[in-house]
Amino acid sequence: MMDFGTPVLEPGSANGTKQVPQFNPYQDNGGTVASIAGDDYVIVAADTRFTLGYSIPTRKISRVLKINDKVMLGTAGMQADTCALHKVISTRMRMYEHDNNKRMTFNAVSQMLSTVLYYKRFFPYYTFNIVAGLDDKGEGWVCGYDAIGSFEQRKIVCNGAGTKLMQPVFDNQVDWAQSWDGAGKPNLSLEQATDLMKDAFTSAAEREITVGDTLQIYKITKDGIQLEEFELKKD
Amino acid sequence: MFGGQDSKQHTVQPYVTGTSVIGLKCADGVVLGADTLVSYGSLAKNRKTSRLMTVSNHCSLGFSGEYSDFQEIKSTLEELMISEYCMADNIPMQPRAIHQYLARVMYEARNKQDPLYNQLVIGGVLPATGEGYLGLVDLLGTNYESEMIATGYGTYIALPLLRKAYRPDITVAEGRKVIEDCLRVLYYRDARSIDTVQISTVTKEGAETTEPFKLETSWDFKKFKAGSRLIDESTW
Amino acid sequence: MFLTRSEYDRGVNTFSPEGRLFQVEYAIEAIKEGSTAIGIRTSEGVVLAVEKRLTSPLLEPSSVEKIMIIDHHMGCANSGLSADARILIDHARVVTQHHTFTYNEPMTTDSCAQAVCDLALRFGEDGREEDAMSRPFGVALLIAGVDEKGPALYHTDPSGTYVRWEAKAIGAGSEGAQTALQDAYSKMMTLEEAETLALKTLKQVMEEKLNSTNVEIAAVTAKDRKFRIYSSEELNQCIERL
Repeated sequence: MMDFGTPVLEPGSANGTKQVPQFNPYQDNGGTVASIAGDDYVIVAADTRFTLGYSIPTRKISRVLKINDKVMLGTAGMQADTCALHKVISTRMRMYEHDNNKRMTFNAVSQMLSTVLYYKRFFPYYTFNIVAGLDDKGEGWVCGYDAIGSFEQRKIVCNGAGTKLMQPVFDNQVDWAQSWDGAGKPNLSLEQATDLMKDAFTSAAEREITVGDTLQIYKITKDGIQLEEFELKKD
Repeated sequence: MFGGQDSKQHTVQPYVTGTSVIGLKCADGVVLGADTLVSYGSLAKNRKTSRLMTVSNHCSLGFSGEYSDFQEIKSTLEELMISEYCMADNIPMQPRAIHQYLARVMYEARNKQDPLYNQLVIGGVLPATGEGYLGLVDLLGTNYESEMIATGYGTYIALPLLRKAYRPDITVAEGRKVIEDCLRVLYYRDARSIDTVQISTVTKEGAETTEPFKLETSWDFKKFKAGSRLIDESTW
Repeated sequence: MFLTRSEYDRGVNTFSPEGRLFQVEYAIEAIKEGSTAIGIRTSEGVVLAVEKRLTSPLLEPSSVEKIMIIDHHMGCANSGLSADARILIDHARVVTQHHTFTYNEPMTTDSCAQAVCDLALRFGEDGREEDAMSRPFGVALLIAGVDEKGPALYHTDPSGTYVRWEAKAIGAGSEGAQTALQDAYSKMMTLEEAETLALKTLKQVMEEKLNSTNVEIAAVTAKDRKFRIYSSEELNQCIERL
């Protein structure tokens, strides 16, 4: 049960064959985060399953951090790094509010997360993030990140363990990627986006064992943030 | 083993270890349980070492993993509780705060590539409401709260039993029995366990850890008896 | 002077029994020796105008920089010790760039004024050799900028105080100029009217005759959110309107 780490070749040894166990500071705790943005809303969804290898030590952890009533952060990957990153972002957000006498905008949060991640370029946070929020005009947007801070602003992003199963569905249903000129591309309502999100997670939970338990869907609109919980497979 | 000659020597694997710790959150508090064995590989090095400690009136702690690292954690915690005592502000330190403190200590150690090789289970009550609190921290800084927690082989053997036994209104008295049963099952199957155990209960009235006591075990199941199964007789 | 102020003006962080920091007050005095600078805020933008003291006809006027840009959307005029001003402005440039790097947005005028004043107050502190400051900065700034809340004009002084103004004059002619501004300023002013008022006020308090080489003018507009120092042609057009 105790993790002995991966044995590696010791560089200094005579023929390079001496095996030395090394401490591995990283761990994958699964988790999937996804977000769909509309004209006047954005939804952020994350499952609550916490995995360690094939075990589920607990079924209810939060992967989402509320930054303010217009912006949220969702994080998949390693739980300890997620926790540390969320603490860093929270304090940076509060310091920004004190220094600038205003709330952080979606734009400011998205750039700040990138710099925070890149500052640990050579000992990265093992996390896969999305930042979702409403811009100054009230339009929904979401940014997807890799572990070291590359990011892109889009209308639909998913990140983490279930990405491979869910992204093609979103490409098809939201981005209308199958159409060469985008003709007939639907403009999803908040309800349609929520339903699509539930279907995507339910399907991912069928084949990806690290996805399951409970789906938390945060709906960000001009009226604030609402949480809906949706039960997923528990096996 | 240790790193190269030039590098600072860091723990990369545990030597003297304790096996599973288990915990259950109850309506009126929390129960922790662990056996009293520390092993050196397959050697039962010390059979009567307490793996549970009482942190404060409202909080207990159990460990699995490296014993020496736990002793280090124990002394930092005792220092923390002394400064907490010196405050004398009548604001007892919440179990949640102790949990987060340990999470930061463990995470900082892992960031230095010099982990404290333990899984720690924190059990306590919220002094205001008397509601139970149960949390875990491991060597990487992973931390979470849950209604039931088990480490080591307990994840496979005890956790399903705890999940089955759990009710939101389960009392500490009932929980104590469940924990004892789980320790018994662990003793039957975990080769690095022992039948001498301790149980710690934390309620509004205070935190209490029992003296080590022997589990009642039964080996007279039919299938346990020699010759009762096909494979008991050699076919060679 | 030394009779009344006794020994309390030696240490920069020593209060007098009356509760005053004389070195800071002296630094504020130093500004009153400086050339006059004027800032006027309107809903269309902020105008900065300064007097350049050209002590010799052999002096190259363009080398006297009294107005400097901080970021695209912000700039400032100074009065007092120009060398000290450069240190503060360099700091302002660093913090605004750092803000844009981290948050992908321009820094607000208020935050920039605050950042400048944080540095202004750091005198007399212990620190590593290279960043220990022995005395207050002998300079005042008029910071003009535009952000999402519109155009803003801030005044900073050696005590690290920063205050927002509609119209403010600093330097040798500040007393007369401030009175003139108070009389003539209106919230309804256009940017062009502000340019004229700034130059007219400068003209009143300047010892020399105002011309296109001994004044400098700059503005930041709400429309394009850009800070710009006027060219000599534009300056001449403004002077002709007087």
